[in-house]
Amino acid sequence: MSEQQKTEVTVKPDLEFVKDVIASGGGDLKKCYQCSTCTVVCSVTPDDKPFPRKEMLYAQWGMKDKLISNPDIWLCHQCSDCTAYCPRGAKPGEVLGAVRKMAIQHYSAPSFLAKMVNDPKYLIVLLAFPAIIFLALLHYQGFLFGEIPRNEMGQIAFSKMFYPTYYIDPVFVPAALFAVISFIMGIKRYWADMARNHPLPAGSDTTSSLIETLKEIISHNNFKKCNVTKDRSTAHLLVFFSFIGLAITTSWAVFYLYILGRPSPYPLYDPMKIVGNVSAIGLLIGITLVTNNRMKNAIKAGKGSYYDWLFISVIYVIAVTGILAQLTRLADIAPVAYFIYFLHLVFVFFLFFYAPFSKMAHMVYRTTAMVFARQAKR
Amino acid sequence: MEKKLALYICTGCGIGDAINVEKISNIAKNAQKVPVVKNHFALCGSEGLETIKADIANEGVNTIVIAGCSPRVKFEEFSFPGCIVERVPVRELAIQLIEKQEDQQIAAEDYIKMGVIKAQKGDMPEPFIMETVKTILVIGGGIAGMTSALQCADMGYEVVLVEKEAELGGFVNKLYKKIPTSLPYKEPLIVDTDIQATIKAVESNPKIKVYKSSKVEKTEGQPGAFDVTISTEGKEEVVKIGAIILAAGWKPYDATKLEHLGYGKFKDVVTGIEFEEIAKKGKGKILRPSDGKAAKKVAFVLCAGSRDPNHLPYCSAMCCASALKQTKYVRQDDDACAMVFYKDIRTPARTEYYYKEAQNDAGVMLAKADVIGVSDAGNGNMFVEMENSLLGERVKVEADLVVLATGIVPATLDDPIINLQYRQGPGLPDLELYNGFADSNFICFQYETRRTGVYAAGCVRQPMNMAEAQEDASGAALKAIQCAEHVAQGIAVHPRAWDKTYPDPFMQKCTSCKRCTEECPFGAIDEDEKGTPYFKPNRCRRCATCMGACPERIISFKDYHVDMIGTMLKSVSVPSEDDDPRLIVLVCENDAYPALDAAAKSGIKIDKAVRFVQLRCLGSTNLVWIADALSKGIDGMLLMGCKYGENYQCHFAKGSELANYRLGKVQETLSRLQLESERVQMVQLAIDEFEKVPQMINDFVERVKEIGPNPFKGF
Repeated sequence: MSEQQKTEVTVKPDLEFVKDVIASGGGDLKKCYQCSTCTVVCSVTPDDKPFPRKEMLYAQWGMKDKLISNPDIWLCHQCSDCTAYCPRGAKPGEVLGAVRKMAIQHYSAPSFLAKMVNDPKYLIVLLAFPAIIFLALLHYQGFLFGEIPRNEMGQIAFSKMFYPTYYIDPVFVPAALFAVISFIMGIKRYWADMARNHPLPAGSDTTSSLIETLKEIISHNNFKKCNVTKDRSTAHLLVFFSFIGLAITTSWAVFYLYILGRPSPYPLYDPMKIVGNVSAIGLLIGITLVTNNRMKNAIKAGKGSYYDWLFISVIYVIAVTGILAQLTRLADIAPVAYFIYFLHLVFVFFLFFYAPFSKMAHMVYRTTAMVFARQAKR
Repeated sequence: MEKKLALYICTGCGIGDAINVEKISNIAKNAQKVPVVKNHFALCGSEGLETIKADIANEGVNTIVIAGCSPRVKFEEFSFPGCIVERVPVRELAIQLIEKQEDQQIAAEDYIKMGVIKAQKGDMPEPFIMETVKTILVIGGGIAGMTSALQCADMGYEVVLVEKEAELGGFVNKLYKKIPTSLPYKEPLIVDTDIQATIKAVESNPKIKVYKSSKVEKTEGQPGAFDVTISTEGKEEVVKIGAIILAAGWKPYDATKLEHLGYGKFKDVVTGIEFEEIAKKGKGKILRPSDGKAAKKVAFVLCAGSRDPNHLPYCSAMCCASALKQTKYVRQDDDACAMVFYKDIRTPARTEYYYKEAQNDAGVMLAKADVIGVSDAGNGNMFVEMENSLLGERVKVEADLVVLATGIVPATLDDPIINLQYRQGPGLPDLELYNGFADSNFICFQYETRRTGVYAAGCVRQPMNMAEAQEDASGAALKAIQCAEHVAQGIAVHPRAWDKTYPDPFMQKCTSCKRCTEECPFGAIDEDEKGTPYFKPNRCRRCATCMGACPERIISFKDYHVDMIGTMLKSVSVPSEDDDPRLIVLVCENDAYPALDAAAKSGIKIDKAVRFVQLRCLGSTNLVWIADALSKGIDGMLLMGCKYGENYQCHFAKGSELANYRLGKVQETLSRLQLESERVQMVQLAIDEFEKVPQMINDFVERVKEIGPNPFKGF
């Protein structure tokens, strides 16, 4: 075989994949005529083999392998500069968003959940799953149609409704474990695919790439390069740090409960409560900004897909129910407070349990791709 | 006609301030014996025009010289039926182009003198009128030919339509569907061709006589009186024709020459037209020729032969849009995909919208690529192999059907079609300039060919799509009608569409040297059995190239002849001082003269040494004029004409080129006079290059000054 023949690649167009991208939010994909304006205006692409022009072609031809395992799709922050300047209205930013979603679906296991998360007609089923669990637990404790629980001091206490050790943790720990295992499986396959298609240079080091990537994530420096959707990085940063704050709060609560043996409620001046409340308000503001930005930029950057809006909505509901649960508790509006808390739990479960299949997964896949890209010297 | 001459000098537009009108009037009256000499401050105004009209009515004036502005303006005002009118552009040439007042005066004297001579030497034109018919012959029954035929018939002209196939309709008849003809383009983006309606309209039109399975065997005669022999399955018939529309169309490029693309090797590699037939036969189902299975992966290879120096060097214009249309045939099956490999997608004007719509389809996949071959995939399918693709450096894609978008080859490439019985040959000349297409460089008369009365339309003229072919057909129909009407009145057709003169040779002195028959750009001059030239005036465009060619100087027009221009040149003043040269520039009236007008208008000044003389075409330059002028002491002559060669702009196609050719022979004449050959040069000027005029003139003046004064000066 000559050298030339060796390098010949067989392209296998996949019409179904094209249809999927179109159905997943890349509806204008086919309008692209490969002028490369998108690549020129992109602020976050590497100079060598820049995106998203080539990704647009791969998507138009249904070259799934070239796209799904491509770390570049995660280097894109959907600034939408490309979409704003595209002379044909092909919306490359939306197309890459759709492709990322398809990558998540592709790698996450089990795949039927991925399908359900992406399909509005299963939303009720997905919500019903945690709802039924918690309703069953309520029923088991006799609270469903019975007395309204209060603590020794006669206060509303969510720990009375579901004592964490017996009711919350046995549900959430396995749910989180499920998500983590699913993530690990997905990431392993993803990394293997990336490494096969884009061999890593010899002697490259994952740890140092990870440290550099985390620095980048904390600073959002690349995200800040966006032009058309300038404010998005700020909103995202706020949501991101609020989540970190809430994660700290959760750990802190675990410490109180299991080490100090102090169940909730805690007084508002408790430092843990302060961190938690600041984070909750931060999350609410952040997600509101995210929503506003999306609305404001819809004409230039595209409206986004069900997938995007589902994720945003879930965070919204979590932030709002979290805050309201606390307020109604303090106002001592017992049935309402418990109902809101119930909703809060359902949505938090939704967020965690379906994380490997929802847009939440971007956290993991983007980080992985960024580490890989750094290691591969992209 | 007894001529009575009058000279009117307009003193408006600053002319009166610049020149001494009285002095010039006296020259005209006394030296040139002009009976009526008048001036007016605004000759083009109603009072000025009334003066002229009164002289025509009362004084019997019938030959009018108007010294004022350029003949390119105010031509409606200065039109006096029944009179010879000579316009002298004093304002532009003598005043605006020249710097100093004293030099303006001398120039004005020269120009007016020449104008008077021209009027004195010219005669009232009388048209050449012969018995003519106005029947239009349309060759080709495709969409272009049928459109032309219908349009001519609608305008009341008899039409004869000759089609070589047994049915009308041409390639459109072979199509499964066509691109919609109106915006906005909407899915499914393909509509019925409706060609049967057009065929029916043609065949049922009482004014159109259709000859099917026929061809033009012979075309004799001249516009208005062509004798066209039409043969139908061995039977011949001669019809009288006024003008001809050549809409003979095209054929697809021979795909067997595209061996590397697998044509002939694989049954499932087909041409675009064959693909239309497949779709038509399957009523929309795309079944493979090899096994009759439905094709699911159809590859379209664009520019199959086109834009390839080894095959067709040009773009065939319609293949991109046609292939996009054909992807829609494939996409009638939602599981099938159509893959298009292109060099560039060329969909100009509103077809760009079609491209946008056609592309916006999940199963239509496009990629820029250089397709280098089609090979066996081993499973009954083929691999389309490509390089430099956006899909990768070297890539192959599997296809179960490959469509080669073969380009357009004009019918005239290897067949004269019209079979003219002209001395210069049966076909249209110089088609190699256009890769065999019956095209021309005539910007303003694009349906024009170099055979008067023959107008090309559709894909025989240029590669184009159906809509463009129909537009062409209308244009050519109008030109053909114009031709039939003009020859009936004895007027030239374009570009001298007002001209009633025609070449009138003094045959007793003809030596049968045949230069005129060879040089006429339009093949207007044939020969009889003895080899004596004879003119077919209706073929003539009145460029007077024959007049320039004739060594015996026997070819004349009523208002344009060798002696007239020669006398004008000899009348130009020659300054006595050695360092004060006089040069004559012969300018073509079509492009070079308008450029001078533009130069004058934009304030450009040129050397005072120069006098301009307008010619119908540089092709009419007779070498005797050079001898005439130089023997009178003129220091140099410059010929300023249109660009010639591959991208010629000559309105008579060959005039400036022939002038240049003759100039090569002037050496001989000059050396006989013991003069330097560089005293006579030629330059090419486009109509928009007026800014180059001063440099051209100055360079020439400098060169002549270097050579020194004409030794004949003062003799």
